[in-house]
Amino acid sequence: MRMPWNPQQPESCVPDSLVHSDDAIVVSGMRKSFGDFAAVDGIDFTVKKGEIFGFLGPNGSGKTTTIRMLCGVIEPTGGGARVMGYDICSQAELVRANIGYMSQKFSLFQDLTVDENLKFYAGIYGLSAAKFAERRGYILEMADLRGREKELTGNLSVGWKQRLALGCATIHEPRLIFLDEPTSGVDPTARRHFWELLNELAAGGVTLFVTTHYMDEATHCNRLAFIYRGRIIAAGTPHEIKDELARDTILQVEVADGEGALAALEGEPGIKEAYMQGAMLHVNVGERSAAEADLPSRLGSAGFRVLGTDRVEPTLEDAFVHLVGKQGGRA
Amino acid sequence: MRRILAIARKEFLHIIRDKRTLIAVLAMPLLQLFLFAYAVSFDVKDIPTAVLDQDHSVASRQYVNTLQQSNYFKITQNLGAMSQVDGVFSRSEDVAVVVLPPGFGDAITAGRPGPVQVLIDGAEPNSAQLGQAYATGLSRVYGFKVATDQADAKGVNLAGGGLSALTRVWYNPEGSSSAFLVPGLIVLLLTITTVQQTANTLVREKEQGTYEQLVVSPIKRIELMVGKVLPWAGIAALQVVVISGIGLVVFQVPFRGSVVLFALSSVLFVLCALGLGLVVSARASSIETANQLAMMISFLPAFMLSGFVFPLTSIPPVLQFVSYLFPARYFVVITRTIFLKGGGFDVLWPQIAALAVYAVVMLVLSSLLYRERA
Ligand SMILES: Nc1ncnc2c1ncn2[C@@H]1O[C@H](COP(=O)(O)OP(=O)(O)OP(=O)(O)O)[C@@H](O)[C@H]1O
Ligand SMILES: [Mg+2]
Repeated sequence: MRMPWNPQQPESCVPDSLVHSDDAIVVSGMRKSFGDFAAVDGIDFTVKKGEIFGFLGPNGSGKTTTIRMLCGVIEPTGGGARVMGYDICSQAELVRANIGYMSQKFSLFQDLTVDENLKFYAGIYGLSAAKFAERRGYILEMADLRGREKELTGNLSVGWKQRLALGCATIHEPRLIFLDEPTSGVDPTARRHFWELLNELAAGGVTLFVTTHYMDEATHCNRLAFIYRGRIIAAGTPHEIKDELARDTILQVEVADGEGALAALEGEPGIKEAYMQGAMLHVNVGERSAAEADLPSRLGSAGFRVLGTDRVEPTLEDAFVHLVGKQGGRA
Repeated sequence: MRRILAIARKEFLHIIRDKRTLIAVLAMPLLQLFLFAYAVSFDVKDIPTAVLDQDHSVASRQYVNTLQQSNYFKITQNLGAMSQVDGVFSRSEDVAVVVLPPGFGDAITAGRPGPVQVLIDGAEPNSAQLGQAYATGLSRVYGFKVATDQADAKGVNLAGGGLSALTRVWYNPEGSSSAFLVPGLIVLLLTITTVQQTANTLVREKEQGTYEQLVVSPIKRIELMVGKVLPWAGIAALQVVVISGIGLVVFQVPFRGSVVLFALSSVLFVLCALGLGLVVSARASSIETANQLAMMISFLPAFMLSGFVFPLTSIPPVLQFVSYLFPARYFVVITRTIFLKGGGFDVLWPQIAALAVYAVVMLVLSSLLYRERA
């Protein structure tokens, strides 16, 4: 327990000089260890007010742990952060009153109706009856749930549940919302619809902190940070991150036995990176090199049937593999 | 306050939406009440009995007379000496012999409990129940406390003094075993529902992932805790009223004590049980663990270590010690004393104090456990 009257400002707190009035989140050297395993290993970043900030990383990289610290649910074991101006350790209650949070599992009560769920969260956030009526109308509209107020939440399809969860998480109109993989397990149409809602919120000046491992969603974000094994390995706009690969050539190869071809290419000269992307083999041959031209024949002579080769624009996935590769690990 | 109400209302909705829980908390206790009260019924009628009156006083003759007139016993013969008992049993003439030792009359006139010895044929398959039936029956017959010596005469040579007599004082002049059972049953049923259900509530929330959402909201742990147990406290109160009511009306259990004292001690006991449930809830990682833990600390102690079925004096010393760790034993004493004896705060204060301390310790412990962040 940190004593608020402790005259010696603990080093984990972020000094006021680092926090600007247009910063929604300022993270400084934040760490979280479970035993001697560092789930989050000293991260720094800043999120500006009104931004959609994408926090990307593979499974187990520390995304949820970061969010839980920023929401004041668990205390960091080192470093600290300011969220909407409040210190996450000493002012956790204020932090929690000023943010919205949509957890990885949709936190709806399946045995309660749509209305009862809304009413419950309104009660938790202490909304007045008038305010609740207003918010309820807005959320039902936004989530396309008009006429289904009395339906049990458990009977709704995933897309609706997800939008209702967003409604519940934002019932108190927070200016900053954390969304932990909000679109996992949702079909593409519902995902698109959901992102429209997020864009609307952002247009209204709300700051969004979104984790995901769908790379295509990253393009919706104003800025991105990649977390890998508890460390931030890259940050910037989607453009800046793709630019990391600007001079590299990415070849998309359609080959009958992708996995086999992948194994054959591993560590070959002229091959910077090779990995599967969906059914396709992606090969980064670096700056234009001889490898580009003779890749099909090299694969062919190794006994793989190449059906086609294309030069493609680097995607965020390509950037991600590249970034992880630079860290000496694999995604 | 509004947050507590929001939690309580939601919790209440969970309860009424979930048919299984609803049945578990409302129908099951009633079913158990009737099952227990009938199945464990000790009420026996017209037991063939021999009498050995060694006192030959007015009181002893009067006693035998009332015995004769009761429905419980059918007196078939009067014995002249202790040596005849063996023969009575071995020829299966009677299943029990009531012995009125010399000095019985004097004791009664002096206002002391009259000692009565009951010898039961140990070959009878349910001699233990018979012993109880006798004890209750005998005291009923005489209308006040009777110290009863109960002994097994399983082929023992009585003349040789091979009797191990157990002395018990029975407070149940009606001689009905349901009177004895129902107050204890209130304790058992109350424990099962409250501990079990509160143990489940938080764990269920963790499994669903909704707990994660709640800890990010501005709600305080204590508000969450209070809101969660409120509906259960209400249901517990309802259970006390319904079970007591059925006990009074259907089983004609007397209620001799103070309603206020009973209500007060019930509240204390429910707080203890809710606290136990919350402690389990804060610690258990899955619903299964929660249920098993709740079973271990609620049903078993309330059944075995409360004096509900086994008198606490007859269980091993280690278990007697363990029994002090659970609230059921105190509350069983309280309910029985209030229902059957009409005892007040002057006799029950140690038990009531124990419950109060227990409740405070449990609630503090559970709020500490709740405060820890998941
Ligand atoms: N309470 C805990 N105790 C011990 N280890 C934990 C705890 N919480 C998380 N971890 C570990 O920390 C690492 C990071 O977990 P975290 O949940 O933050 O990952 P994530 O990026 O959210 O992954 P996912 O995409 O699967 O949700 C994982 O290896 C996880 O096992
Ligand atoms: Mg996660």
